[in-house]
Amino acid sequence: MRDVIEAALEAARTAGVSYADARVVVALTEEIAVGYGVVEAIESRASFGLGVRVVADGAWGFAATREVSEATAAETARQAVAIARASARVAGIPVALSELEPVVGTWSGGCEIDPFTVALEDKLAVALSADEAMRAVEGVALTKAHIGANRYRKWLGLLDGSFVEQSWTESGAGIAAYAIGEGEVLTRSYPNSHGGGWRQAGWAYVTGLDLVGNATRVAEEAVALMSAAPCPSTTTDLIIGGSQVGLQVHESIGHPLELDRVLGDEAAFAGTSWVALGDLDELRYGSEHVNVTADATIPESLGSFGYDDEGVPAQRDFLIREGLLTGFLSSRESATAIGRTSNGAMRADGWNRIPLIRMTTVSLEPGTWTFDDLIADTDDGLYIETNNSWSIDDKRLNFQFGCEIGWEIKGGKLGRMIRRPNYTGITPQFWNSCDAVCSADHWEVWGLANCGKGEPMQVAHVAHGAAPTRFRGVQVGVGR
Amino acid sequence: MSMTADQARELARRAVEMTAAADEAEALVGAETSALTRFADNRIHQNVATDDSVVSIRAVVGKRVGVASTNRLDDGSLRAAANSAIAIARASAEDPDFPGLPAPEPVEIVDRARQAARSFGPEQRADAVGAIVEASRTRGLVAAGTIRAAEHAIAIASSRGVDVGMTITGAGGTVLSTGEPSGTGWASFIGASPELFEFAAIGAEAADIAVRSKEPGDLDPGEYTVVLAPEAVSDIVNFLAYTGFSAKAIAEDRSFMAGRVGERVMSESITIIDDALDPEAIGLTFDYEGMPKKRAVLIDAGRVGEPITDSYWAARLSMPNSGGALPAPNSFGPLPLDLQMAPGDATIDELIAAVDRGVYVTRFHYTNIEDPKTVTLTGMTRDGTFAIENGKLGRPLKNLRFTQGAIEALARVKGITSARRHVGSEESSTLVPALLIERFAMTGQTG
Repeated sequence: MRDVIEAALEAARTAGVSYADARVVVALTEEIAVGYGVVEAIESRASFGLGVRVVADGAWGFAATREVSEATAAETARQAVAIARASARVAGIPVALSELEPVVGTWSGGCEIDPFTVALEDKLAVALSADEAMRAVEGVALTKAHIGANRYRKWLGLLDGSFVEQSWTESGAGIAAYAIGEGEVLTRSYPNSHGGGWRQAGWAYVTGLDLVGNATRVAEEAVALMSAAPCPSTTTDLIIGGSQVGLQVHESIGHPLELDRVLGDEAAFAGTSWVALGDLDELRYGSEHVNVTADATIPESLGSFGYDDEGVPAQRDFLIREGLLTGFLSSRESATAIGRTSNGAMRADGWNRIPLIRMTTVSLEPGTWTFDDLIADTDDGLYIETNNSWSIDDKRLNFQFGCEIGWEIKGGKLGRMIRRPNYTGITPQFWNSCDAVCSADHWEVWGLANCGKGEPMQVAHVAHGAAPTRFRGVQVGVGR
Repeated sequence: MSMTADQARELARRAVEMTAAADEAEALVGAETSALTRFADNRIHQNVATDDSVVSIRAVVGKRVGVASTNRLDDGSLRAAANSAIAIARASAEDPDFPGLPAPEPVEIVDRARQAARSFGPEQRADAVGAIVEASRTRGLVAAGTIRAAEHAIAIASSRGVDVGMTITGAGGTVLSTGEPSGTGWASFIGASPELFEFAAIGAEAADIAVRSKEPGDLDPGEYTVVLAPEAVSDIVNFLAYTGFSAKAIAEDRSFMAGRVGERVMSESITIIDDALDPEAIGLTFDYEGMPKKRAVLIDAGRVGEPITDSYWAARLSMPNSGGALPAPNSFGPLPLDLQMAPGDATIDELIAAVDRGVYVTRFHYTNIEDPKTVTLTGMTRDGTFAIENGKLGRPLKNLRFTQGAIEALARVKGITSARRHVGSEESSTLVPALLIERFAMTGQTG
């Protein structure tokens, strides 16, 4: 691939660009989906192509092709230059990038058992067995089981001589059971909703989830939700389970701290941010219990890599330290706005897309509480788990989340089950109401393989470390 | 490099031939050439062009199905994909309800591709952005948004004799105009050709709303009479489709339509159809199995109508195939892609004039489903939310959160405009009017 990439870069250089990168990506995907005893999908997808990004006349241009050769690489680079020159017709300040030493390197993610070498029959057997176990529970109306794997190889070259090659494998799986009551669908998922669990790992991750062993419990909880109490409409103390804390971090910390959103680059689509550049090192984002990191170096995390798609080495950076805003997720261009260098968050979801600022593993760092102590310390409240619905405004202030299940907390003890709890809040008030985070023993990295951003839309694979966390005085039961 | 519909058909037939070892085979070719210019802060900051062609092969062995796809079009890669699809099918489990691939049916191909979309190059897109930006800049505002153009050649061939292909084009964009302090306005457009649009006027539409939105105020949560502009209505209609209109959702009892055919669930003034052959439709006239998309009345004067089917769900439920197949494998079920809500006879000014105290919504943001059975949605308003006071558009409001059952809301529709707008893309568009709805639940507000 080096010859193809160098052909693209040379054509860009000849055309007079001030910056160019060229990226070749090979992606292989396999998905298995079972629904109520029926194999609904088994699919293998392969995609291969080249993307070239340039700065010419002070403006950006990008072109991509599925035809990968030295000749098409040069032609695609020239197309990118022509597009950049057209961009300059409606230009702002010329593009400037923060400093980066040229890099040459390789990186690969861990994968102990290659999921693409495991017999399809064996993978399907796991999904069918889990599905069968859920269907055996009386009252279950629908079931779903899925298993998937992705493999990527990526080569990136820059005009400054940088060249990196990376490869990694992702595995994921999940199950869900549905009970259908009068006028509502009640869902229980494992290990998480919206695609299950995902890691940069191999088949051992899927077998370690023990989908079959969890299937009966998941199904029984779905059925139990039919007779569970409705969520009260009130303001109360809320303990949120780890996966939902992860999504809360994603929506109300991760996205608003993407520096391109802060600068307005995403304004017309996903929106901007309630956080301003001047808030850096000034804003009290949350309480002293709120420590948030962006870390692209965590082994097996879906948000890890060796180098981002600008060649910036993977880093661990604090975004919030003891409640104080200390950083943003940045690119080489956006970092100049805060007088820093990039902390390496630029990723594209394929060869035919430009890199955007994406979350890596953005985590609420663990606190000191045990889960049992946290429940015992709560006199009156709710404990809720597993996302069912999510919505947040265009500045990432007003949010509303629904969860699959909850339990009342009375006198420091978990009580009766609550069905479809939801809660709403305003980001800074909410994070400042956080008064307890469970310890590393309860902390887990949750892979999230469906983060949408950009136009054309890109779907990033990111992750969030989180543990059960308590928030005081939260409005729950909205619209109930 | 763009591909013609005939070239796509030839490629699909070649892929089917390579899958001859299967009992049945089908190939879907999707070739796309697209470009998108993105702007923010009154300047172009992203500008991309790409071409891709994907061949997806569905192999059938007995009642087992496998799918494999590739974007490498040489014989070796196509053969590898064909062999992979066959191997997957052999490893899969039987679905006793699988009816086999559908037999060919006559398809009406409509000439919807426009040369102006094909030749809408980066300079032309930049000039369009310039005209849009100027409308904001001259008002002391900043503009953000997109201008895009695309051409899609789609073809399906099968061992049963299906052999169809069609090319469509699309041009579209969005404009967000922003002023200080915090007023925003919005406009969007979608059609087969950029020639349909006056870019300066679209820029002015968004900028005028932004000027009017300056210094928005508070509104207490509660039930309000609302006037929803077409883009807001499209969110509701699309969630009805996403959760309710599919035969699979109905068979699985997840849909509001399940067991309620013929029952009145919405206002008599609400009719929703899926009609790819409507003169105003801009998409394909066949589905992703190559079957003709047929006109389906989903909501008929407020009553639950017929669901959308594909070959699998039509056979399983002994219903006609309405042509709603998505690309295989499709665990989601059939989906209508050419939706429209019937127009009324009012103007938008007449809807506003009919409201003593209410809220005008330009569009929703980040709408999501809380419960599919009631189609309970939550989301935010943005880019032009106004109080309606004594029949007139009044003070701007901070963005509001709604939490509302869509079926209930559509039972309380009291007015519909005659004018409608396309929202979405050329591959899946929704043609909708503005609505006046009573007692719409606003449950919160941006702080």
